[in-house]
Amino acid sequence: MKALLKRLRGVERDIIQAPSEDAADAPFYQPQHNEVNIFEAAWRRRLPVMLKGPTGCGKTRFLEYMAWKLKRPLVTVSCHEDLTSSDLIGRFLLEGDQTVWQDGPLTRAVKVGAICYLDEIVEARTDSTVIIHPLTDHRRQLPLEKKGQEIEAHEDFMLVISYNPGYQTVLKDLKPSTKQRFIGINFDYPTAEIERSIVRNEVPDLPEALLDPLVALGQRARSLKDHGLDEATSTRALVYAANMMAAGLTAQEACQVALINPVTDDTELAAALLEIVRAHFPD
Amino acid sequence: MTESMTLLAIQQHLADLEAISFVAHRDVRIALPQVEKAGEAVTLEWIKTCRILFEHDRDAGKAFIRGSQQAAEACPAILTWTQVALRFTAWRGSWKAMNGFMEQLPAACALLGAEGVARWSELGLAWCDRHLDSGVAYFNCPVARFAGSLGVAGIEELVLPSVELFASRRLALGSYLHGALRVRDLLGIAAVAQWAKRGADILQAGRLRGEAFFRLESEESIAILLEQVSGFRLDAHHRLYQLILRAWFDDGLDILDSNWSPDQGRAFVETDGRALYLPRAMPDTETAMLSVLHAAGHVFCHSYEQADIEALFRAAGMQHPPLDEEQRITWRPLFAAFGADMVRFQLIFDICEDLRVDASLARRIPNYIQRLLRATDIQQMPDGAPGAYYAWAQRTLYWLAGGAPVDETLEFLRVLLQPDAAVLEAWQIATAWYARVLANETGAAALPPITLAERADAYLPGRSPNAARPVYPRHSRDAKGQSDADATDSVAGEQELKPPAQTAHLPQQAAGEDPDMDIPPEDTAGSGGRVGVGIPQPAHVQGQARGPEYSEKGKPYAEWDYRDQRYKPQWAWVQEKLLTETDESEAARLMERYAAVLKRLKRAISAQKPTRMAPKRRQFEGEELDLDATITWSVERRSGMAPKSNIYRQRRVQHRDTAVTLLADLSTSIMQTSPHGGRVVDRIRAGMLLFAESLEAMGDTYSMAGFASKYRDGVSYYTIKSFDERLNSHSRAILGGLSGRLATRMGAAIRHALSGFDAAPSSRRLLLILSDGRPADYDDGGDERYLQEDTRMAVKEALDCGVHPFCVTLDVAGSAYLPQIFGEGHYTILDRIDDLPKKLPEIYLRLRR
Repeated sequence: MKALLKRLRGVERDIIQAPSEDAADAPFYQPQHNEVNIFEAAWRRRLPVMLKGPTGCGKTRFLEYMAWKLKRPLVTVSCHEDLTSSDLIGRFLLEGDQTVWQDGPLTRAVKVGAICYLDEIVEARTDSTVIIHPLTDHRRQLPLEKKGQEIEAHEDFMLVISYNPGYQTVLKDLKPSTKQRFIGINFDYPTAEIERSIVRNEVPDLPEALLDPLVALGQRARSLKDHGLDEATSTRALVYAANMMAAGLTAQEACQVALINPVTDDTELAAALLEIVRAHFPD
Repeated sequence: MTESMTLLAIQQHLADLEAISFVAHRDVRIALPQVEKAGEAVTLEWIKTCRILFEHDRDAGKAFIRGSQQAAEACPAILTWTQVALRFTAWRGSWKAMNGFMEQLPAACALLGAEGVARWSELGLAWCDRHLDSGVAYFNCPVARFAGSLGVAGIEELVLPSVELFASRRLALGSYLHGALRVRDLLGIAAVAQWAKRGADILQAGRLRGEAFFRLESEESIAILLEQVSGFRLDAHHRLYQLILRAWFDDGLDILDSNWSPDQGRAFVETDGRALYLPRAMPDTETAMLSVLHAAGHVFCHSYEQADIEALFRAAGMQHPPLDEEQRITWRPLFAAFGADMVRFQLIFDICEDLRVDASLARRIPNYIQRLLRATDIQQMPDGAPGAYYAWAQRTLYWLAGGAPVDETLEFLRVLLQPDAAVLEAWQIATAWYARVLANETGAAALPPITLAERADAYLPGRSPNAARPVYPRHSRDAKGQSDADATDSVAGEQELKPPAQTAHLPQQAAGEDPDMDIPPEDTAGSGGRVGVGIPQPAHVQGQARGPEYSEKGKPYAEWDYRDQRYKPQWAWVQEKLLTETDESEAARLMERYAAVLKRLKRAISAQKPTRMAPKRRQFEGEELDLDATITWSVERRSGMAPKSNIYRQRRVQHRDTAVTLLADLSTSIMQTSPHGGRVVDRIRAGMLLFAESLEAMGDTYSMAGFASKYRDGVSYYTIKSFDERLNSHSRAILGGLSGRLATRMGAAIRHALSGFDAAPSSRRLLLILSDGRPADYDDGGDERYLQEDTRMAVKEALDCGVHPFCVTLDVAGSAYLPQIFGEGHYTILDRIDDLPKKLPEIYLRLRR
């Protein structure tokens, strides 16, 4: 299967893809707490789920894993501030002499019973967040306003949103009426032990001697969050750093480019982070 | 003259001298054998000189004769220096200079050589010629120190600036020399020129101030030294160290300046258990970092734990550790017991305690010991006694770095490597070790007695004397045992106790008083100034607020008198002043505390940044088609309707061109404690800081100022940040150190703020007034309405010139008078003072829409 996918790279595919049956294709996910159980329970009862947590702590990966585990297709929509409801539901297109309705990703997911994942939902315009309301309560319906129709959701349809509390703003926040429709699962950066196995798994060719200091440094750097650092050093960033090391950069260089340069322009903060790096990876 | 005649003449002179003075004759006899070695002719010349000098001035003669024996020994060319000595007869009372000359002569001969001595004497005589007291200072200056390593060229170079200074400003060499020598020793000859040039300017501004500068007694002088000092500057990186502490210890400590000056010798990082005191400069970044980590290590690894220190004092036979007036523990008695050998014991104790702390730090900070060792390897091992201690400290570190293998000679230190070792163990080991050193026991280290002056060299890089300051005991171990609620309580309690440390560091302005009140009117007490050489000025200048405008009345503004229904012209006088009270660590603490709030604000701001490209949908014209609108349009067209052609999208910068001045009422009342706990001023500081940070993020033009008043001719206007400045660490520090004083003459302040808007480029202008009470001043005669009406008129004037005033008040009774002053809807009352930090920027965000 993987070999097939390789050949398909660079080719358009439909967004709805049945998940692979092959166990070897399972996305790697290391459970931190009981999130897998909670998600499965919500799935059994078809309740919408909200994933909360800082960037790069594994929300998206978790969902990929769950979709694979539950054998449902996954439709991911990254929300942005210009995302309108028609971008989600669908719109009329002109084709020759007539107008043709084209389903949006949400409508497709509702029809085929996929898991629809609205990533960073707060970024979207409020009108697009409101249209999911009827989908998230007992009705499980998607109204197609422009067509004057509505769709009863497929039995297996499930809505998942992600929500980064760090982005919570005065102006941009989910309405309480939206929030309270979801089962909330909190994510945070994993413990050192779990993080170690994640980095190990993601970058198998990372020299063993670099693994422990890298994870320790990530944990240490997180204590600077909120002291100028808006987003703490994420697991993803650590994986990137490990990749750069495995690709031949020195440990200090790799940390500099993966962990420090991207997250801050503040020289003092960068110096503090570099100091932590140098402690773990001496010259 | 034949030989016999010469001898005869010598005898004659001797006899004459004996007749004049017994002492002179006796001293000549003593020196004679040494002089006679040079031959009779020279002896005759010498004895003649003795006589001439003695007759000119008895003291000069005595000084010459007494110094001659040694001089003759060191400088066999007797004639050269006798000739120089004769020239001292040109001045009356030159014996002091003569005395110095003779005393320094042997050293000069040895160091400078014949030519050097000639040049040295020439320069000195020239000084005697200019100003005899300067000549005295010149000749009394020890030649070795004077010349430094450069020989006579060193002397020439050092004296050169002062020739100019004397010519133009009549600065005596005596005032200059001592300071110049210290400056040269510390920073090299190049710095002396800089320092002297600056001093000349200060001298011109004021005699006493200038002289204090040259004696290195004024803060200005120290500041200039600090500017010139080389190495890594720590003062610019306090935030970095705060972040580092946060990262390694999950806790912050205040970082303050230690007031170190280069002439105090080696720079150390010190701590008092609550704050780290950093010198302005250290040799390099690595040493600075290690020092900060080590000093913080003492704080966080329980060197100053109350219970441990108490145990320590009990072990030393004292019931309770002595406390000073700020409840700090003073260590002195512990060491005083060792009497004259105190320094030796102190160093032994420090080796033990530092080892304990470093072992503990090594468990927390990877590679710490390796870095420390690298730094010690680079540093040159000091000679003599300090070297012995240095070597021992280094040895213990190597032992620790090597995983503490079994080593007979170091086994007694092993206890200190245990995680639960405390300061008491270090003390016990140190006392036992000290006893063994005293007993000269085999196997004990040969640690020689050491003087206080040598002590600084005995420390490894990064380490420092541990009992340098009295310490605030810590209670972290107790807190751990308590429940969470208790722990937070005790933290709050600690914060309550804190203010003394702050006030101790900010003596410039007592809270609630005019910052300029405590400056003495004129310090005319004589301290070295001379009559007729300028206006005496105080030697110590505090603060910068006394620029030329100090004595001026400032800028006048009219004031509205409702009783006469007319303006009183030139009534209220506003003086622009600078706030000198700064508190960087308070600012940092506030930023930390409100980090979450600020982050939220910044997100909100980025959503309405003035330059954000926001798409406008369904426009009648625009750069691109609005897809949905277009499709709707064509669908409707086809079905036979006549839709409106608003099918475009526009991306346009929605520019909100706003300038705002935040004007804060800094009257005494803000120093009150609020009913919800905490002082009002703390919230105002936080509010203004968050306001500034938010506006900085927003990119709007803004300025910030505070005001206070005392009588109509004393309205102080403190600009904290002007329109064209960016927010920098200094303005942050000022915000962190805001305090209240005097009263609230709001009208005059508003009028002055209006004039400030001339510098603002924006067309929409907003004046945000932060107040905590009604306008009032000492001279309003209890008539509340008077200043209230005046403020109302000032608000009206503001509106007339296109500035929109808005008042944010903390006065819950504000609704009684604010509607009359600002008008309905142009003010906001904050019931909860705690909301201020969050609300202030939000209010602005709302207003600018």
